[in-house]
Amino acid sequence: MNTGFSPIWRDACQRSRNAIPQLAWLKELRDSAISVLAEHGLPDLTQEEWRYTSLTDYVQRGAAYLADKVTAADTATATLTVEETVGQPHLELLDGLLQEPGSGARVLPAGVEALSLRQLSPELRARATGLLASHKTPDDTRPLAALNMALLSDGLYLRSTATADTPPPPLHLRLASSGTAMAQPRLLIELAPGSQLSLIIEHQSAAGALANAVTQIRCGAGSRLDLLRIQDLPADALLTETTHVELDRDATLSATSLDFGGQLVRQDLSVALNGAGATANINGAFVVDGHRHIDNHTTIDHRAPDTGSREMFHGLATGHGRGVFNGRIVVQPGAVRTASALNSRNLLLATTAEIDTKPELEIFTDDVRCSHGATTGELDANALFYLRTRGLGPDEARQALITAFLHATLALITPEDLGVRVAARLQSRLEALDGAAI
Amino acid sequence: MQQSAPLLTITDLRVTVAGKEILTGMNLVVRAGEVHAIMGPNGSGKSTLAHVLAGRDGYTITSGSVSFRDQDLLAMEPEERARAGLFLGFQYPVEVPGVSNVYLLRAALNARRKARGEAEIDAAQFLRLVREKAKLMQMNESFLNRGVNEGFSGGEKKRNEIFQMAVLDPVLGILDETDSGLDIDALKVVANGVNSQRGPDRAFVLITHYQRLLDYIRPDFVHVLAGGQIIRTGDRSLALELEAEGYDQTVAAAKSQTQTAAR
Repeated sequence: MNTGFSPIWRDACQRSRNAIPQLAWLKELRDSAISVLAEHGLPDLTQEEWRYTSLTDYVQRGAAYLADKVTAADTATATLTVEETVGQPHLELLDGLLQEPGSGARVLPAGVEALSLRQLSPELRARATGLLASHKTPDDTRPLAALNMALLSDGLYLRSTATADTPPPPLHLRLASSGTAMAQPRLLIELAPGSQLSLIIEHQSAAGALANAVTQIRCGAGSRLDLLRIQDLPADALLTETTHVELDRDATLSATSLDFGGQLVRQDLSVALNGAGATANINGAFVVDGHRHIDNHTTIDHRAPDTGSREMFHGLATGHGRGVFNGRIVVQPGAVRTASALNSRNLLLATTAEIDTKPELEIFTDDVRCSHGATTGELDANALFYLRTRGLGPDEARQALITAFLHATLALITPEDLGVRVAARLQSRLEALDGAAI
Repeated sequence: MQQSAPLLTITDLRVTVAGKEILTGMNLVVRAGEVHAIMGPNGSGKSTLAHVLAGRDGYTITSGSVSFRDQDLLAMEPEERARAGLFLGFQYPVEVPGVSNVYLLRAALNARRKARGEAEIDAAQFLRLVREKAKLMQMNESFLNRGVNEGFSGGEKKRNEIFQMAVLDPVLGILDETDSGLDIDALKVVANGVNSQRGPDRAFVLITHYQRLLDYIRPDFVHVLAGGQIIRTGDRSLALELEAEGYDQTVAAAKSQTQTAAR
């Protein structure tokens, strides 16, 4: 079966295989990715993991770019001017290509090393290969990650050895798409044992852009990663994103994922808690209005004793928007004393909107504490009445409740001033909701 | 004493809920400066009265009228009633996570000012006001930035209602079972909050099941509500009588009197 993986895609993968001499060291990984694609094809609705999200438009738009023989490598001169949401980025990948920092570029936080995949020394190539091919990388099974590997023309390798006592300032990465090619951004991120990193990954694009991002992260023993991923893409942009995080012993991941825009956005986030004592806190919020479709699939895999995870997603749906949340928690044999809590809360403001939410627990060991819950409801009529008896008009009261609902996620963003900036962005987004807020 | 003009006039008010008549011809006049207590057994229509006055959905008014400051109260939206100076203290104050007390109060004050064509409240002036009232209600300032009633104890919620009332400065406060669930210390704080707001231009309607609250907030009038109408009106001694004899006897006596009078 190779649904959607038509000759146009196959030819593009073959072209890309040898196109960039500095990436020849990826040849084996690229060949294996092409085999994955040949075998599995691109995702379609017949697959359980994709039953709510159709990639028909996405595959068509991608094929159109490739038919014009446009590969990302050709577009190094493309530019994109976008409104800044959370400030000036330190580094930018434009259509997957790491941009030369311009004059006035922000200095990277101390202890952070950032290099293009095209510039890696043999030693770093070995490290990067380890990350790219590490156990359970998405490439083994996920066609979209394989597509990225087959077509990528650059990528960013980032390593943090910062061990400051005080939290490091956030490192801001922008993944931008010009709309002139199918972008295949790839991020490889390593945290040395005991190090800390605060990272913002922001997606931005021109109208109608198409991107397929893959990020692989390894958090060494005792390290701590604060990750904020945010996208407020134009209403006709398409984005698929695969992120895989591995945590060694006592490592901590604190991730916030915010989806405010796009036409169709699918994120697959998987977290493997490989070492004892590793913990992951995942928070997400999404807004689907107009005809927007946002699908978050997450997997947290407890593979060692005494690991912990907390996950909370807040979804807001109105207009003809559709939100999908699938949260999977796996507790492997031997992962005793795992503590895990998974929650999905959703607000449905219009009968024409839709939320599909599904928690999945797969527990293969005793002696665990796992809880999960999912709710989908309207605004609380009692709370609305209460606010109105204090003098707030119905619109103002609804706005206050909607903002409060999503603000639960934003309140957890560190540092605080970043949370404040994101909150301002969310506020303007909510004031312009496309769909009846009933 | 010369009588002031009525703030609130309820005339022959009949209200049904899901087809059942709960208020069956209620009459009440409340003038500025007065404190009225409405007492009654469970199911007599006390909370229905409070909700109808505040404008809650789900009640059908089949006849009668309510005028508030010479306006048709029943034709007004809940927020219009609030902006006109009516305040309802809830029996069960609602938790509104994520909407802070200060946000709510500033938005409420500004909504009222906007309705009157006034400018938004000055930030420093607002802060002084809420601090002063928080102190009056012996509320820790940390409560101001917490979500409205979020995780508050029963007593804290009631205290927060009176605090909101103090900040919003209404002309008519309707307090629905504000005393229920309060220990004696909290009751004193709440009563003190209400007493400090008493004045010639303001009136209160205290809806309560027990006369205990009236030891601390002395009413000018006590009404007994039973079967959806006021069957007896007296001064504070009526509350003491109810306490001593219970509702059953008082209601039965009032009914037989009414029947005798009818004959």
